[in-house]
Amino acid sequence: MKGCFDYQFTRRSMLGSTAATLMGFSIRDLLAATGRDHKPTAEHVIFFWNGGGMTHLDTWDPKPGRPTQGEFEPIDTSVPGMQIGEIFPEFAKQMHNVALVRSIAGTQGAHERATYQVQTSYSQTPNVIHPGFGSVVVHEKDQLGDLPAYVTISGQAPRASYLGQKCAAYFVGSPGDKDPYLAFPEGINSVRGNKRLETLARFNSRFATKTTSEELDATRTSVDEAVRLMRSPALKAFELDHIPLSQFERYGDTPFGRGCLVAKQLVETGVRFVQINRGGFDTHSNNFEAMRNHGEIMDPALGSLIADLADSGMLEKTLVVMLSEFGRTPKINKDAGRDHYPAVFSCFMAGGGIKGGQVIGSSDEDGFQPKDRPVRIPDLHATLCHALGIDPDKEVMTPLQRPMKLVDNGSPVLELFG
Amino acid sequence: MRLFLGAVLTAGLTSGTQAAELTASGASGTALSQTLNKENAELKIELKPVDLVDDMAYLRRVSVDLIGRIPSHGEIQEYMAWAPAERRSKIVDKLMADPRFVDRWTTFFADMLRLRSNSPGGAAALAFVHQALQDDMPYDELAKRFISANGKAGAVPEVAYVLGDNADPMALAGATAQVFMGLRISCAQCHDHPFDKWTRQDFYGFAAYFGKTRRYENDFTNTVYTQEVTANSVLWPPQGDAPDAERKPVDPKFLVGLIEASATPDFISRLDGKRQTEAELAEAALAATEKADSIDDLLLDAADKAVKASKGRGKSAFDIVSEAKKDREAIDLDAAMNKASESRMALADLIANPRNRYFARCFVNRVWSDLVGRGFVEPIDDFSEANAPTHPQTLDFLANEFVAGGFQFKPLIKMVVTSEPYQRGQAVGMPELDQEELRAAFLASPARRMLSEVMYDSIITAGHLFEYKHPQGANMKTVTDRVRVAVPREGEELAAVPQDLAAAAGQGAAMKRQMAGQPEMRRPGYNLEAGIELDFDAVLKKAKEEATEAVQVEKMVVKSSEELEAERMLTDTSNRRRFRYVYQTVERTFDDNPMFGSSFRMASPANPEHFIRIFGQTDRTQVGDTRDHAPSMRQALMMLNGKMTHEASRVGPFEPMHKLLAGEKPQIDKAIELAYLEILTRKPQADEVDLAKSIVADSESPLDGMADLRWVLLNSNEFRYLP
Repeated sequence: MKGCFDYQFTRRSMLGSTAATLMGFSIRDLLAATGRDHKPTAEHVIFFWNGGGMTHLDTWDPKPGRPTQGEFEPIDTSVPGMQIGEIFPEFAKQMHNVALVRSIAGTQGAHERATYQVQTSYSQTPNVIHPGFGSVVVHEKDQLGDLPAYVTISGQAPRASYLGQKCAAYFVGSPGDKDPYLAFPEGINSVRGNKRLETLARFNSRFATKTTSEELDATRTSVDEAVRLMRSPALKAFELDHIPLSQFERYGDTPFGRGCLVAKQLVETGVRFVQINRGGFDTHSNNFEAMRNHGEIMDPALGSLIADLADSGMLEKTLVVMLSEFGRTPKINKDAGRDHYPAVFSCFMAGGGIKGGQVIGSSDEDGFQPKDRPVRIPDLHATLCHALGIDPDKEVMTPLQRPMKLVDNGSPVLELFG
Repeated sequence: MRLFLGAVLTAGLTSGTQAAELTASGASGTALSQTLNKENAELKIELKPVDLVDDMAYLRRVSVDLIGRIPSHGEIQEYMAWAPAERRSKIVDKLMADPRFVDRWTTFFADMLRLRSNSPGGAAALAFVHQALQDDMPYDELAKRFISANGKAGAVPEVAYVLGDNADPMALAGATAQVFMGLRISCAQCHDHPFDKWTRQDFYGFAAYFGKTRRYENDFTNTVYTQEVTANSVLWPPQGDAPDAERKPVDPKFLVGLIEASATPDFISRLDGKRQTEAELAEAALAATEKADSIDDLLLDAADKAVKASKGRGKSAFDIVSEAKKDREAIDLDAAMNKASESRMALADLIANPRNRYFARCFVNRVWSDLVGRGFVEPIDDFSEANAPTHPQTLDFLANEFVAGGFQFKPLIKMVVTSEPYQRGQAVGMPELDQEELRAAFLASPARRMLSEVMYDSIITAGHLFEYKHPQGANMKTVTDRVRVAVPREGEELAAVPQDLAAAAGQGAAMKRQMAGQPEMRRPGYNLEAGIELDFDAVLKKAKEEATEAVQVEKMVVKSSEELEAERMLTDTSNRRRFRYVYQTVERTFDDNPMFGSSFRMASPANPEHFIRIFGQTDRTQVGDTRDHAPSMRQALMMLNGKMTHEASRVGPFEPMHKLLAGEKPQIDKAIELAYLEILTRKPQADEVDLAKSIVADSESPLDGMADLRWVLLNSNEFRYLP
């Protein structure tokens, strides 16, 4: 069976078991010296994916008084001196929990290639598909509880590829709606459904003597896992029926808000990595109207999510991060839009050991280039690894026996951790 | 072309040169089986081969492998009514003539060539392969076309292969060597291959064949196309190894040697003879349909041109097609666009050459592995010195017969499925080591799971879901939906609320199959079993129309889906000023009468969360990506709780099963036998009948009990693994 743990034979584990020292230092010391071996500060990740390339200038990196400012004014946040775009008034109140990175130096300006790189840390090549970061996380961190360790909401997650399909995301099409695959079909009550399952087990064990495949065992395991999930009380975490109306309204009562509510419940129930997808950021025209609309939908949900996670204590071990393919051109085009712009853009991170209320790096005064502390895409991945206690340089084998690092040569942005 | 190659195929099948004509049900005595037996003897394999499977199991195997679904009850009865001695040969001929044969094997080529219906020209390429299989296009011609095509995506269907890797010479070099010859050279792009003989210079020399091809995208005409330029972009030394000024274009260099021209092995002279006959047949066909050349004729499709242009004897079908294309291009307003790639034509001639052993060997190994469950070389696209074939003589026998037979696909398939190794049962009840030795020697079959598409279509077949099995109105359902409704803000007219805003975010609408009556409306996001049908004929028709059109500047701008989404949301914003949205709970009633279409006709690859993908269809992006047949929890959930399994289990009034159970005196025994035949292609054994009876009896009604039994059978391992 091709599973999650088949490819864990790596150079490092070889080193670990045979030669424990390298040039007189123990491997452990060397790792600690590079900040790669330490107590994890995060157990879970909520990963917002904004498809299309979200403008950085109208959100996390405003340029007041400059020709590239655009229509929005910056607003004050809960942290003196730290300003963001006016479309996020509720989120601004949580800025003491949030760190901004304003100097991401991207290299890809086309959607597909940029999506690939931001989600996997690797550049797209024809010979190998690299796994998305969520798959890396669940490859390295144990599943907690009955729910799948990796869930993607309202859209696709990248492939698990050589990490195996066990590391692929569980797909939630429409957050809060009943997933028809998690219960017996309509009209089949639990007594009848369970009887069917018992009979199926009898049939399959009878068949086991007639064929030779090892996969038969794996099939049984997969059915057992499915049934355990179907019967698990943890499934409640996918549902929103019990949420009071007032809570829906705090989150904005939108599909995005419901996605955030489900994500919160999922990490509380043990899910390691939740990806929330949202599109509509490719604002080549009418950027400001579009972003105002995005703000109205996202702001209440993001503000409430961070506040609620902080109140319950979950924020301490849950890293919340929002990424997009690239930023958008500082120059505003004739259609009041902004075009693709990878040279510098921004993201936010909160919780899971991230020290809030700080800004890492900056772009130049008009937002054209990184001014200081440029952060490469793989550095962002290494940062997430650092928080989760994952070694970004650990190697796994691809099916073609090519060793591949979990992250494409990134260094964590240690300042983020205070 | 249908006329031309159809005649050729008939000639090929009746010429008596096919080595593996099946004479009796046993298939012993075929040359393929003999070659393998001889080779096994030389390899000193002493284990006793496992017996061939029985007739019913054979029917299930060939049906699954040739037409991509299990046999229906009617087909079982027809087959069993034939004389035992002729059953196996007769069913193979029948299935190879079934339209589904072409559907099922289009998927094989689509996987191999990584054709994606949502990529530029991808749907046209799928339709092209489908048509090529229908027309019995020889494999060498098919390969040459894909390797050498140039032009506009869609209008020149074969160009999808080059566009699939964005016309990147490095990507195409790695893919082309691996896909068509089983040579893995990709590692040598960056460094000399660690375990193989390939150097970086080998790689660059091979990539140079693709170095003059460029991919263009025209934003204004919404087209993607390839074109040849004069500058070769593949330079040596590699980037970074030398100053750019010192890097020089690399001369194309082929990877492997061909059989010397001075030597003419038997299979090549047989091929030459066959092609000679083909040319003569074509000439005869031409004489019958002689027409004056005109501009209209030049615009005819390449197939007709092939017949017309074949006056010059000795030309290969490929040359003829190329000429026909050149004719057409001559009158194209933008001829440069469709200019053939000379270097890739040269490459195609080297790859798809009867004297290139790797070409035929790699392909027959793929087909063999697909049908028998294990290649002579594994992984199937890794032919290297360190990875020798287990049975080189048998592999070469198959490869040589394939070449001698004119690279014809159907005779190759027939040779394999009528051979002994294909028909062997599984090795059970013996030590694991012996089992493995038997499988490695092709003296026992490995356990093979159905392809995802086959599983999908087989559930539909067993459950009578290709057509309605319930009367209209018998499955009325009422669901409550929470929908978003636009209401006017103060001062706005109620009538101004656009109708389409009243609907919920219905992104699932495009996924709907249009059914008679009210279609079922599932909530968006969970429609993981239905599919978008791809109409091959319509796609090809459109491609032909486009091919004859001049390239014109259309007023359409290419927009990414991301941009369209941004615009959609913008409309939302402007509406937001006039309206606000409220959520309402509404009740809907509809006729949930289930019906499904064949997965082989779906747009492919399917969405990542779709049944077909969950059961192993790849996304066809990575070279050498094979279908993962490992079970997963998601698969289990789809089968246990999915709509398809559930509806297939339910007994509908229009199916034969209903009559056996619904009357005053239900015929339980007969019904159980029918269930086993329809789902597992076999009769139940006595103890199975007893168990089945207890299941049926232990239920509210015989119909419910039968649904339970059928659900269990459909979910059982026996259903998904071949006998």
